[in-house]
Amino acid sequence: MNNWFSSWRAAVRIARRDAWRYKGRSFLVLAMIALPILGVSAADLTLRTSELSTGEQLTRSLGAADARIVDPDYGGVPILQHPVEENSMPVGDYENKPWPKGRTDVSASFPPGSTALTDSSGAGKVRTAHGILQTEIRELKAADPMARGIMALQDGRFPEKADEVAATTHFLASSGLGIGSTVAARGLDREYRIVGSYELPDDLKADQLNALPGAFLDPLGKALEAAGMPGAGRSTTHLLALPRSADAEGFTWNMVKAANAKGVMVISRAVVLDPPADSDVPLFQQEGWGAYEDSAAAQAAALAAAGTVVGLAMLEICLLAGPAFAVGARRSRRQLGLVGANGGDRRHIRAIVLAGGLVIGVAAAVVGTVLGLLLAFALQPVLEDYMGKRFGAFDVRPLELIGIGLLAVLTGLLAAVVPAVTASRQTVLASLTGRRGVRRSSRVLPVVGLVAVLLGAVIALYGSVYSDRFIIVAGGSALAELGVVAMTPALVGLFGRTGRWLPLSPRLALRDAVRNRGRTAPAVAAVLAAVAGTVAVATYQASDDAQQRAAYEARLPHGAVSVMVGEGGGRDVPAVRDAVQRNLPVDVRADVDRIVVGKASCGMYDDNKGCGRHEVVIPVANRCPLWVYTPDGSDPADKYTKAERRKLAQDWRCSETPSMPSTESGLVVADAGLLKVLAIQDPAAEKALAEGKVVSFSRPMVDAGGKLGIRLITDPAKADEAVAKGQEAPGRVTSFDAYQVAPGTESYGVAGIVPPATAKAAGITTVPFGAYFSTDRMPSTEQRQKLDDELSKTGAGAELHVEEGFVSETSIVLLSLTVFAGLITIGAAGIATGLAQADAEADLKTLAAVGAPPRVRRTLSGFQCGVVAVMGVLLGSAAGVLPAIGLRLTERRQQMNWYEQALDLGGMMDMPHVPIIIPWGTLAALLVAVPLGAALLAALVTRSRGAVARRAAT
Amino acid sequence: MSSSSRSPQQPVLQLQQLTRVHGSGATEVHALRGIDLDVFPGELVAVMGPSGSGKSTLLTIAGGLDVPSSGRVIVENTDITTADRKTLAALRRRSIGYVFQDYNLIPALTAAENIALPRELDGTSARKARREAITALEEMSLGHLADRFPDEMSGGQQQRVAIARALVGDRRLVLADEPTGALDSETGESVLALLRARCDGGAAGVLVTHEPRFAAWADRVVFLRDGAVVDQTVRSDADSLLTGRTAER
Repeated sequence: MNNWFSSWRAAVRIARRDAWRYKGRSFLVLAMIALPILGVSAADLTLRTSELSTGEQLTRSLGAADARIVDPDYGGVPILQHPVEENSMPVGDYENKPWPKGRTDVSASFPPGSTALTDSSGAGKVRTAHGILQTEIRELKAADPMARGIMALQDGRFPEKADEVAATTHFLASSGLGIGSTVAARGLDREYRIVGSYELPDDLKADQLNALPGAFLDPLGKALEAAGMPGAGRSTTHLLALPRSADAEGFTWNMVKAANAKGVMVISRAVVLDPPADSDVPLFQQEGWGAYEDSAAAQAAALAAAGTVVGLAMLEICLLAGPAFAVGARRSRRQLGLVGANGGDRRHIRAIVLAGGLVIGVAAAVVGTVLGLLLAFALQPVLEDYMGKRFGAFDVRPLELIGIGLLAVLTGLLAAVVPAVTASRQTVLASLTGRRGVRRSSRVLPVVGLVAVLLGAVIALYGSVYSDRFIIVAGGSALAELGVVAMTPALVGLFGRTGRWLPLSPRLALRDAVRNRGRTAPAVAAVLAAVAGTVAVATYQASDDAQQRAAYEARLPHGAVSVMVGEGGGRDVPAVRDAVQRNLPVDVRADVDRIVVGKASCGMYDDNKGCGRHEVVIPVANRCPLWVYTPDGSDPADKYTKAERRKLAQDWRCSETPSMPSTESGLVVADAGLLKVLAIQDPAAEKALAEGKVVSFSRPMVDAGGKLGIRLITDPAKADEAVAKGQEAPGRVTSFDAYQVAPGTESYGVAGIVPPATAKAAGITTVPFGAYFSTDRMPSTEQRQKLDDELSKTGAGAELHVEEGFVSETSIVLLSLTVFAGLITIGAAGIATGLAQADAEADLKTLAAVGAPPRVRRTLSGFQCGVVAVMGVLLGSAAGVLPAIGLRLTERRQQMNWYEQALDLGGMMDMPHVPIIIPWGTLAALLVAVPLGAALLAALVTRSRGAVARRAAT
Repeated sequence: MSSSSRSPQQPVLQLQQLTRVHGSGATEVHALRGIDLDVFPGELVAVMGPSGSGKSTLLTIAGGLDVPSSGRVIVENTDITTADRKTLAALRRRSIGYVFQDYNLIPALTAAENIALPRELDGTSARKARREAITALEEMSLGHLADRFPDEMSGGQQQRVAIARALVGDRRLVLADEPTGALDSETGESVLALLRARCDGGAAGVLVTHEPRFAAWADRVVFLRDGAVVDQTVRSDADSLLTGRTAER
């Protein structure tokens, strides 16, 4: 043991000093190993720091309170709740009827002696320095000790009077207001003074105002209601502190269940900190509920994927760093020979070279981890702002960091293994005299590689031809790829045959590379692995891109613009329409209104009191038989055979329904201008609109007599019940003369157009909804940004869509992948060239002696570099394209299967289009530009004049 | 061959009927042809001869870096021609010291560490090995070089440190291959004086050189030509008058 330790210590000493002597090479290898370690350790630190402990999380949501009491709005019926999440359901069978609705008296559930703090929030539109900002208004006595931790005061103080508010820092930044300014909500004739700023640690980007309970929301709601506008939408919860005596236990799960019986939901600190067993949670006993946890198989798959990525990354680093250690061993061959002459055993020689890996690995681990710590620390505020969340306490987990650091040490050692074994096999005499021999590469490795390639290919082929499971193709490809890496020395040998026809420098470079496969192969393999990965991803991405382009569904004609405001009342719509017209190159503007049932202040899909809805009555003869009501609740499609279902799916009654409807019924109220914007050229339709007829784009909506019925439903709850029973929904039906546009006309989500005069004549209420525009030319980015800015200042929540056609998002990914592979290629080729140059010193001297000009040294090193790059890139491209094609074939089969199944069930689906596209641009860059660049770079950095040769002993 | 009963005059190195053939067939070269040589403690033997006469081959075989085609090499009673790689390495750590023409020291180690290296490789604790190394340096009045790296020393100093390393611990056999080849003559003399002094202290030395001036430091000179010993001379009286020493044999 002592013996072993002592000789290792000497080895480490030599390696350490050597690493210091050859700083350039050491730094290169250190950087290669340390960079990923830096990234991983910084990611680990950031992840751990951003993960809040349960306690930290509770402080942010509950402050110092014991529980938060929530009214689930089920009208007080007993409920079942999730112990940790805000999730509940009423007790009882609500399969075929709507869930109960209504306020619950939560105070009944407060344990005696406890103190409560209300926490209400709603929304309002606040006038700011720039315009109007949709803002959350929260009434919570933030200065109360019970609320401590929910809002973090940044400056000033929390409100103490009814006319004071505090604002989030994000609100102040986006409103242009500051402490001391006054704010007013639109519709409320009252001003509030901002007395402080705060942030919500979990939502830094929230625009929120904090007022005292009752000071803001009530007056605002009353004022809005009086003006016929939608209210402030107030919801209230209660923070609860138990009396001191009961404190020890907190709000227990049994207390929560007791509250549930009264229809109240409770988020309890004690329960969240120590959740009950699943068997104690009645909600989990319900059908369809359960603890959703990742299955063991999914976890294993994720672990395997992570392991594969880490393994491949380590392989790549070893392939890159290995040759650098080989250069080191080669350069210090005489030194190793001297150790041998002084009694160094093979294991001593191995130890010295391995110690090189150990030294660099340890240094990389330390440097990477320290830099990772600094990086994580420095980036924390940036990341917090980016994610809009304050992290918890800086969380350093030494064990994880040590584990990550050990990976670096392992990588360094692994990279040095092959050079160490090679160096130790040299005889002492050969090392001392500097005799060179052709180093034969292993004969076993190519055979193993070939077996792996064949096996992997068979698996991948099976996967892509017979199965639709990606994992089979991916696994097979990975195996084959590793096989190719193992076969690299043999493959490099094949390139040697092409040497005969080349001029001197490239011939010399190629011969040298092929004769010394031991050093060429790792570099080629490193290039191969990087390029294969890049090409595989690039091929897949390019194909996927083409698929998405083909599958893209335009929402409007190219260049057209739509803007919609779904809010009740439509008060801001005119301003929004004008903003679009002012800022974009608008040609035709078509204003659209929507039908509203009940109060004008009702929004779309509004289920508030006094709000109804409307629908188009589909005549019985036009209904799709696959979707009709069945009294027993069975699927109507079951009555048909597969063939019938397929046939029915093509039937116009089933297929001609509008996709992505723009309103609840698909009907909009507009004039003929809309036809122009939607690029529908149908003079008959224009004429029909002028005559006051409704224009329909969906055949099933119009009955045989050419009439279209609109039903106005004033009581949605009753309508739901009727529909559930298969009856017609109650409501006034108005019939209109309708014109049916020829089938196949693309109407971009508009099912029908009702002329404004016709709607008015029929007594149907309409409110402004938005507008469609056609443009002279595609709006520029500046125009769009300006418009976005103006729209946000109206506070209307407008939805803007500019139809730009398909925009690919993958090009930047492809570009960065290409650059990455290029860098790896140049790095690996450079290292291999350095190695070759170290070897070729004697050849170069001979060349110079027979009269070769000095530039031969340059061109030779350029070609040596280029040869490695070309071999790696060629092999890598081939190894990358094939698995990508396999994956795409699998995907095509899978999509075809889904398509067939959907057809059998009578569903509608477009025939899947799964193209295979070879990314020629990326390939060209990799195949031509990268090797050329590598060769030029190597030639440039090589000195023409050789270093003065050291006189070899003996 | 047992050692305990023999006198101190038992040879440290014995070469018996040593032959070495490089290559085979048409490219066959006889580097050594039946060499016999004994080197005793306290004796410095110079090997001279023209280029290609087999001087260096003799030395590499004597140190176990190369194997003879036939014959035996016995170092300190161990036949190294039949020893395995590990035994040979151990022998180089414990019995045989080498001094080459130049670049003898490991650049990454200080003088003291270079000297301590064989002992450390052998498992001696770093502290003890260093103490021995410092002692060895001080014995040769080189104590001030202990913490210098090779590139901070002159060529002569490096060679003297190499000699110190060759004889550290129990090592009694120095094989020096043109140790003065890269030095000027004055420095060369001082290096040989040191080697001579070490042999006078009881070590056995083999010195390959082609300079008669340096061979004059030896007790015995062996002339090689085409791999065979053509002449052996004991140091002449004139030489001993010159150096003020008498021949012992």
